[in-house]
Amino acid sequence: MTKFLQPVKRLHTEEDLKKFQVSLTHHAVMDFIQRLANSVHGLELTDKTLPVNDRIQSILDILEEVDKISESHPIRLDTTSRFGKVEFRDFFDELSARATSLLHNHIHLDYDTGNDFTVELSTYLINSFGDRERIDYGSGHELNFLCFLYILDHLGYFESSEYDKSVVLKIFARYIQTMRGLQLKYWLEPAGSHGVWGLDDYHFLPFLFGAAQLSPFTRPRPLSIHNKDYVTEFKDKYFYFACINFINETKIGTTSLRQSSPMLDDISGVKTWKKIEEGMLKMYDAEVLSKLPVVQHFLFGAILPCPEGVPEHYDDEVDEDGCNHEVHSSWGDCCGIKVPSAVAASAMEHKKHHVPFD
Amino acid sequence: MDLDSDVQMEDAIEQQDVSETVAITNPTEEDEDEDDAGMSNSLSVKQTITSTIVGDDDSDEKGVISRKPIEQVPISTTNPKTQIDTLDAWIEQLSQCKPLSEDSVKELCDMAIDVLKDEENVQPVNVPVTICGDIHGQFHDLMELFKIGGPCPDTNYLFMGDYVDRGYYSVETVSYLVAMKVRYPKRITILRGNHESRQITQVYGFYDECFRKYGSANVWKMFTDLFDYFPITALVDNSIFCLHGGLSPMIETIDQVRELNRFQEVPHEGPMCDLLWSDPDDRGGWGISPRGAGFTFGQDISEQFNHTNGLSLTARAHQLVMEGYSWSHPDLVVTIFSAPNYCYRCGNQAAIMEVDENHNRDFLQYDPSIRPGEPTVTRKTPDYFL
Repeated sequence: MTKFLQPVKRLHTEEDLKKFQVSLTHHAVMDFIQRLANSVHGLELTDKTLPVNDRIQSILDILEEVDKISESHPIRLDTTSRFGKVEFRDFFDELSARATSLLHNHIHLDYDTGNDFTVELSTYLINSFGDRERIDYGSGHELNFLCFLYILDHLGYFESSEYDKSVVLKIFARYIQTMRGLQLKYWLEPAGSHGVWGLDDYHFLPFLFGAAQLSPFTRPRPLSIHNKDYVTEFKDKYFYFACINFINETKIGTTSLRQSSPMLDDISGVKTWKKIEEGMLKMYDAEVLSKLPVVQHFLFGAILPCPEGVPEHYDDEVDEDGCNHEVHSSWGDCCGIKVPSAVAASAMEHKKHHVPFD
Repeated sequence: MDLDSDVQMEDAIEQQDVSETVAITNPTEEDEDEDDAGMSNSLSVKQTITSTIVGDDDSDEKGVISRKPIEQVPISTTNPKTQIDTLDAWIEQLSQCKPLSEDSVKELCDMAIDVLKDEENVQPVNVPVTICGDIHGQFHDLMELFKIGGPCPDTNYLFMGDYVDRGYYSVETVSYLVAMKVRYPKRITILRGNHESRQITQVYGFYDECFRKYGSANVWKMFTDLFDYFPITALVDNSIFCLHGGLSPMIETIDQVRELNRFQEVPHEGPMCDLLWSDPDDRGGWGISPRGAGFTFGQDISEQFNHTNGLSLTARAHQLVMEGYSWSHPDLVVTIFSAPNYCYRCGNQAAIMEVDENHNRDFLQYDPSIRPGEPTVTRKTPDYFL
């Protein structure tokens, strides 16, 4: 029986990343995404026949509880000039404190005492909703929720792959609903945002699963994302249009996706959704799972193990920026080393260092 | 300025044709425009060459990047008049939000290195001057800024970094500001922000944009190499210390900034990093920055620094502030942010700070400019989707 481990961050250098890219964990994550995408071909979010058993319902209930935690931490008066709302931290702290009991109350799996399955699940769950300090959210947090689902699947929680489509169109959809609420309420900043040049400020997987939903169809065409009537008609049925609708509603000062989302605009020129689904899988692998700024935060435990040969690093809590600044009072222990520009880029790769945000 | 042609004056025009043909990367079609702008100096004849790649509307053809035609104003003699005319033509083209050709960017960056390499780590700036914060590729808002603040060179400007990343027009924005810097070196000061960095621009959009607009990373490389030359701080009339981020625990005096070797990629730690990354905070003392680089510094730190260096104010950018400017500590530090409705979603105002001859300060706030129609760039299928 698996001995559960507290998941920790392990990837710090380009070398580590290379090992990750060819690892079983990487393949397991990609295979899982592909399997989920395949399961929703041609299906609508509003499909009444999607199977929802008690176990699916329990996860939906957990997300309901997360919403309630958020409700208990409303925005008080403006207390800061920082952009993100600091009340998010209260939400995060309460979620962190309650995650284990939430999981125990809703998820019933038989495991030995002393080997609590929630050790791993709770860590992935807590980190699915954004970063406490930075008050931001990005595809790395989204990936944590995917890992949460992966762990459940690995433990046999969903009983049969018959439920894959409900994992996407019920559970993942419910997660997106919770996330949209948190993004809007706490003004979460987009983590590692490429600005207009990224796929989206916050999410990736809804575009991937959304393209999968539409994959068998020729209508609506990909170009239809530019037509507000189509977006309105399809936003409740397909993730892809729901995401476009969110952009249309939240991007102000522009009425054109061409200005605010040139990547989505470019993709809209692709002829078929099938091509888009295939491209999204490739792009996810390249832009999320192969980018150090994202996967430096990837959490490895027993079920999603760290690839062999990645060296142990000291604890993240001390070195979020790769350097314990406590020592700065004595100046120069680890700082002040001049890095000639010619070697800076490669030095970044060799030194254990997190890519800072913004 | 040292331009890279030694063409004899009398032969210049004749030879220009030859050098242009050589200078353009992979042209398959050249159009000579009649845009010689009526220059009186015969050396200043400018030819606008439209460089397009055949088949650029066929987005399915792998490896062919569609570019909108990028007009090229050729350069080069060492005649200063020609340089000025060329710069003026570039500025005119850029002011219409049309990017320069790759070759022109190369010329521009070479000229800019010549200007910037001699500036100081703490570049002295005189009053009156208008101090501006982050722009982040919001080109049309930059044009609005010049409308609000008055045109350069009639008004002196000091920009505190972050010209690129996130917005749609980082290439045009940074090209424009650099061209203005080379054209009017005493009238405009451009400091380095934390986004003027190889590492950060690969994460936050400028790299993607250069690749999308030029079909390669060459222009990104030229600009990020140029960024190593940008001054990192400025001192307005020995009174207002200006920089992108904030203070560093390793810097007590402005003289210590002068001793830094700034000609390098922004390091991920140390004083130069901190100057571009730190933030003021309500908490006293030094704190670990949630950004993962730089520090937070409290009022006590600002008091000490301003006192030690005889400053009235530290002006910085780096943080979105909803009114476009915001005071800290309580009036020792000011944050200025000049990208309105940041990223099309923040709904913030932008601001610039005018400082007049008598050191009176006035904040001018402004809202987003009206965007023109849709971008003219041809839709291009990303490689993943081919």
